[in-house]
Amino acid sequence: MLLEQLINGITLGSIYAIVALGFTLVFGVLGIINMAHGEIFMFGAFIGVIVTSTLKWPLWAAFLVAIVATAILGYLLERFALRPLRGKQGVSHLAPLISTIGVSIFLENASHHLFGAGNQPFRNSFAEINFQIGSITVYLVQIVIFAISIVLMMGLSYWLLRTKAGKALRATAENLETASILGVDTKRIIILTVIIASALGGIAGILVGMAFNSVNPQMGLSMGLKGLAIIILGGMGNVKGAMAGGLILGLAETLVVAYGDSGYRDAIAFITIIVILLLRPQGIFGKKSAAEGR
Amino acid sequence: MLAELLNPYYLQIGSFILINIILAISIYVTLSSGQLSLGSAGFMGIGAYTSALVTIHFDLPIIVGVIVASLVAGIFGIIVGLPSLRLSGVYLAIATLGFGEVMRVFFVNWESVTKGSVGLSGIPHIGRELLNLFRDAGLDPSSIGLRNNQFVYLLVLILLLLITIFIIWFFVRQNNSRVGRAFAAIKMDEKAAEAMGINITYYKVLSFTQGAIVAGFAGSLFAHVLAYISPADFAYHRAVEILIFAVFGGSEVILGAIFGATFMTLLPEALRVISEYRYMIYGLILIFMMAFRPQGIITENMVQWLKKKFSSKRGKSHGSRN
Repeated sequence: MLLEQLINGITLGSIYAIVALGFTLVFGVLGIINMAHGEIFMFGAFIGVIVTSTLKWPLWAAFLVAIVATAILGYLLERFALRPLRGKQGVSHLAPLISTIGVSIFLENASHHLFGAGNQPFRNSFAEINFQIGSITVYLVQIVIFAISIVLMMGLSYWLLRTKAGKALRATAENLETASILGVDTKRIIILTVIIASALGGIAGILVGMAFNSVNPQMGLSMGLKGLAIIILGGMGNVKGAMAGGLILGLAETLVVAYGDSGYRDAIAFITIIVILLLRPQGIFGKKSAAEGR
Repeated sequence: MLAELLNPYYLQIGSFILINIILAISIYVTLSSGQLSLGSAGFMGIGAYTSALVTIHFDLPIIVGVIVASLVAGIFGIIVGLPSLRLSGVYLAIATLGFGEVMRVFFVNWESVTKGSVGLSGIPHIGRELLNLFRDAGLDPSSIGLRNNQFVYLLVLILLLLITIFIIWFFVRQNNSRVGRAFAAIKMDEKAAEAMGINITYYKVLSFTQGAIVAGFAGSLFAHVLAYISPADFAYHRAVEILIFAVFGGSEVILGAIFGATFMTLLPEALRVISEYRYMIYGLILIFMMAFRPQGIITENMVQWLKKKFSSKRGKSHGSRN
């Protein structure tokens, strides 16, 4: 029983980690909390529903379409909500936060009109396939989700650490002006960051659809707030922290549902935010200086 | 004649505008010391639930409920505000947002007291209580040619108007006082303000708590005007709505908050067509405002300019008389 719960928790946690990665990339490079990330994630999930249920295309096509669509959303977000604020005189540091809240409200309600307000079933061909290992049941979906998450995280880490674009991104995150002086096309890097973060959100959306078999317009908000909790837990802008934080939150939520009061499941993330912010504002994996000056 | 003018629907909208103005002031007060709190909806919920529960279960008069609600919201304000001092800017916004969500989850789950997501109904209505009061005093609405419900809504509107004017007057006065100047100094530059000898901790918690009290107060009025509340009334959307009042109208001056709340309450009512797309439009407004006019429609400069224009005109008319 405990082992089964742990597997559930890790599955959920790995999805959380991918959502949080999108947050943390944008925060690392731009110093902005992208409140619209949850809604982009939700759009990814709905696109998955449309592609698999309405168009009856295979699952991999759903991933492709969702990645492209959320990447476009990410570009639009950067172009219309973030770029106009950048480098403008007298704009407070709260302006991008408010602006992305605007995007999130817009997208959430647009999806009410586009996809309907209720739950939409997310069907995939292998939802019921499972294995018995000893006394525990493992669903194939869980393994697929976990595998995709691991591949994504490893790919992203490799890309950030080893490739030229990844190094440019990290340089920009370190110091935008210096990176720009040293010949990094920071404008391009910023666009790239938001696009990659959004595409990660889109992938996570389909994974959530696969895991819970249902998608609704409100899931963006709760997932967005949980993503926030995770990056605060793991340290803002910290890639490894986001991965670990996601797993911790996923496990904590699953265990509370299994052994405690399921109604308070959604409160865990926020209580975590408050406790972490008060005790260790830089996050579990963050450096001290990260929390200051913003 | 009066009876035809006083459409209960318009009176009701008027009451909502006034409650929203009070809410907008609650976020304005915290912003005036440079803190962005997204917890107003949470404090509003605390106020609404406290007042509703107190009046339903202990049969106390509404005014006691409202006072208790404001106090409880204020205590929560201190509890949240004091540790939040360590946070600034974006971090404070997120922590207060988290606080609001935690409160909502508690309202939903504490079913024995809050009746969960069904919400509380049968909350004493301010207008009906006032009507009974007037009846006892021997004044019947029909004697001045009004129907009962017109009279009720009119009473609510007048009462709220008086309360709102008092709150606005209080904060305008405060702005020109030692406290208001301390808030402004902290907003400009916290370190410089500290170097000038301003007790930052005290004033930041003060402004945060004032915001909480005002939001809780507005929440309790909300409960007694609607007579029905549910956790959904105090969710994230409410927090964003309150934020929009201040951001759209302008958060530098109290007039901005008043204008924002009035305009944003009237907009969906005036244009029924758009009320379905209301939140989409809210979203676009936030994006456009941040891109083109991040300080809001009404700014400090504008108020100064209006004042100058107004006073110079007055001066001229004086001159011609002499």
